[in-house]
Amino acid sequence: MMQQHILRMPLSILVFGAFLIGSTDSLAQSGVIKDGTIGYVMTDLFWSVYQTETVEECPRGFNDGPREQFEQLFPAHEFLSVEETQLKQEIETWHPNTQPDGFEFLEVEGDLSWGLNLDGETGPNDFTHPDGSQGIDNEVYRAVGCIIGFRGPDGVEFIFQNKAILDRRYNRMMIELTGVDDLENDDEVTVSWYRGMDRLLTDATGQRAMAGGTQRVDYRWGTSLIRESKGKIVNSVLTTEPLGDLVVPWMNLSVPSIHIFKDARLQLSLNEQNATGLLAGYADVDTWYYQLIRNDSTHHLSNGQISGISLYKALRRLADAHRDPETGENTAISTALDIKMTQVFISHSEKNKVMASP
Amino acid sequence: MKFWFKTGTALHTFLILLTGILWSCSTLAADTETYREVPMPPGFQVIVSELEGPVFADANGRTLYEWPLRILRNGYSGETPGIPGCYDEVLEVTAGLMSPYPAGIKLPELENRPSCVDLWRPAYADDDAAGIGKWTILERKDGSLQWAYDEQPLYTSVRDTRPGDVLGGTTRNSRGDSPAYREPIVPPSMLPPGFAIKSTSIGRMLTTNTNESVYSYAGDSASAVVCHGDCLANWKPVLAPGLASEQGEWTLLERSPGERQWVYRGKPLYTHLLDTGSWSLEGSDNAGWSNVFTQRAPALPPGFTVQQTIAGDVLADSTGRTIYRYFCGDDSQDQLSCDHPADTQVYRLAMCGAGKPEKCLEHWPYVIAGDNQESPNRTWRIRTIDPLTGRYASAEQAGTLRVWTYRDRPVYLYGLDQAPGDVHGGGIGEWRGKRNGLRAFWLRDDFMGGIL
Repeated sequence: MMQQHILRMPLSILVFGAFLIGSTDSLAQSGVIKDGTIGYVMTDLFWSVYQTETVEECPRGFNDGPREQFEQLFPAHEFLSVEETQLKQEIETWHPNTQPDGFEFLEVEGDLSWGLNLDGETGPNDFTHPDGSQGIDNEVYRAVGCIIGFRGPDGVEFIFQNKAILDRRYNRMMIELTGVDDLENDDEVTVSWYRGMDRLLTDATGQRAMAGGTQRVDYRWGTSLIRESKGKIVNSVLTTEPLGDLVVPWMNLSVPSIHIFKDARLQLSLNEQNATGLLAGYADVDTWYYQLIRNDSTHHLSNGQISGISLYKALRRLADAHRDPETGENTAISTALDIKMTQVFISHSEKNKVMASP
Repeated sequence: MKFWFKTGTALHTFLILLTGILWSCSTLAADTETYREVPMPPGFQVIVSELEGPVFADANGRTLYEWPLRILRNGYSGETPGIPGCYDEVLEVTAGLMSPYPAGIKLPELENRPSCVDLWRPAYADDDAAGIGKWTILERKDGSLQWAYDEQPLYTSVRDTRPGDVLGGTTRNSRGDSPAYREPIVPPSMLPPGFAIKSTSIGRMLTTNTNESVYSYAGDSASAVVCHGDCLANWKPVLAPGLASEQGEWTLLERSPGERQWVYRGKPLYTHLLDTGSWSLEGSDNAGWSNVFTQRAPALPPGFTVQQTIAGDVLADSTGRTIYRYFCGDDSQDQLSCDHPADTQVYRLAMCGAGKPEKCLEHWPYVIAGDNQESPNRTWRIRTIDPLTGRYASAEQAGTLRVWTYRDRPVYLYGLDQAPGDVHGGGIGEWRGKRNGLRAFWLRDDFMGGIL
């Protein structure tokens, strides 16, 4: 009888009923937050670059890259040798120093930047957030903001570094929030970082990650990447306490490499499907530089007019934290990265922990 | 080397052949790769090498190479089928094949720069030679005759000094922005249709022809399998077509009426449905399951270790420090290598020490062999090197080092690696380490095809 009754219902009523069931399910947060736990997997990550349509932040234009610098340095290269030209430049790239290279480096000259106030202070070198917040620390932006390759939407690094986050399992970092009572306001949650082992759940294009996927934790090669910190959620924004050092695996062209962020913290707008915001901290300068040039050859850098030689000097000059007691020089540089994450179910399977080499 | 080539007496040739035959026999054990017999010019032969498996060789046991046409960043290098391109001409300037550096820059050490044929001697054919099968004869610019296989001109390498050496070129590491490598030519395999073999750092890996890894289970036998039911949720038997027949090491097992599974060396074959990529080793993490190899890579030097990194397992020295290989190819039209101690050292010295040998020893230390250690095989050898020149030296020369080499090239550590598992040297150098730099010696990774 019941079946017959249902069959007699108009289709619209059935659809409406199904909608109600789905809504009720969503309101109850069933399935997404389980035992006070919700996970998110990283789908986008890139250096936060504040750009205006009129490029006011770079009033003197953009920096030259290796190709332009080569033409200026060696206008008559046909009379020179590989040692005097190509290898000379590669030596400068792979054995970088802080001495002037003869090229003026164009830093960002605007006052505005995305980012966070990392040191709790407001100083003359700090930026102002577009929302008016003072004391924004983001010296990586000052260094890369006027380099075409780091600017969206078509800079070579903007495209490929970000794409690698989506495509490469090596880069599959995720966070798991535990002790979550309320995703809108919670005085204390625990935030754990893991690396996942699996491809992302995407829509049919393969380019857009979808919530609801599953990731197994990489307990084999990823154990050294596991971190934990505390955080709180206020008005659906998660803010975490600084971590000593967060290691983010980031390989974009088949060279397994990392970034190291000291005093790393998150500021993420949360909902049951996504987490979006900033990852900020102090990037270890040498690690930052070698991650770039190990993955991208001089050819790739040229496509983004990125002179590794000039950029290294800028990074060292602008480094603003973690002074080396022996040299007196700062070893880390403040930064912020735009980060997007998608909800994922994180599997802590014991099987992942016990794997033997062939 | 030219002397060796030109003065071969009958006795000399006989001794070389005997050495080759003895060596081949010694390596043609159960776990070496078989091949399909094909017609060859008189005297030519097949030798089963340690790393590349069966390769064609000339009458003196010297491996034969081709130089396939490759597209590089700004143009082509290599040879068009049927047209020899390697001559006794010393090229003097770069070809600008790899941006951003333009063409026309003077190449290093021109006074000592070899020509293409100094390093790659054409496989000359006698005037009365006749082609057979895929073997044909091409006429070079000077009117001399050269053997070709499948229309590709053939050469031998000065780096090969003993029958079975395949030190001049490789079928590995030829992807992406690597130089236009010379590759050994190989006889047809004994594989049934649907299979392929891939040279890796750990051996000649058997795969399907769509690059899926092939596995076997220890509990199976040639006549019985234990993988049924739930097991088949993760493992897919490699089935043979209806007309397939058994041959050599390849047999068939009837799993059920009309369903026959390929069996290789007595083990039924499967693919692993949970593998996340081509040439995967992931299936071998399951107890009892193993990747299948036609032959495994030669034994590692004693004392070497395997270390876990965040990207996989890497070869390391006895203290756990990661071991790296150096790759180098110049930007000339003939794409000469610069990764061997007999090649120009200008590129390597620039990258490892900004031109200063002393810095190189600090940044890229050699892997020192113990006083009592011996070479375990011809792939891993101990050589004596002059650390200041980077050239091989006699053992009597003062100030030399006994170092480990792989394929007759020294292997290195990286100065900034501090702890086991560090791989900071990978990708150091031009083109992510592919053309003048270091690449880590991967033994396992699930992320970037490091073993390829």
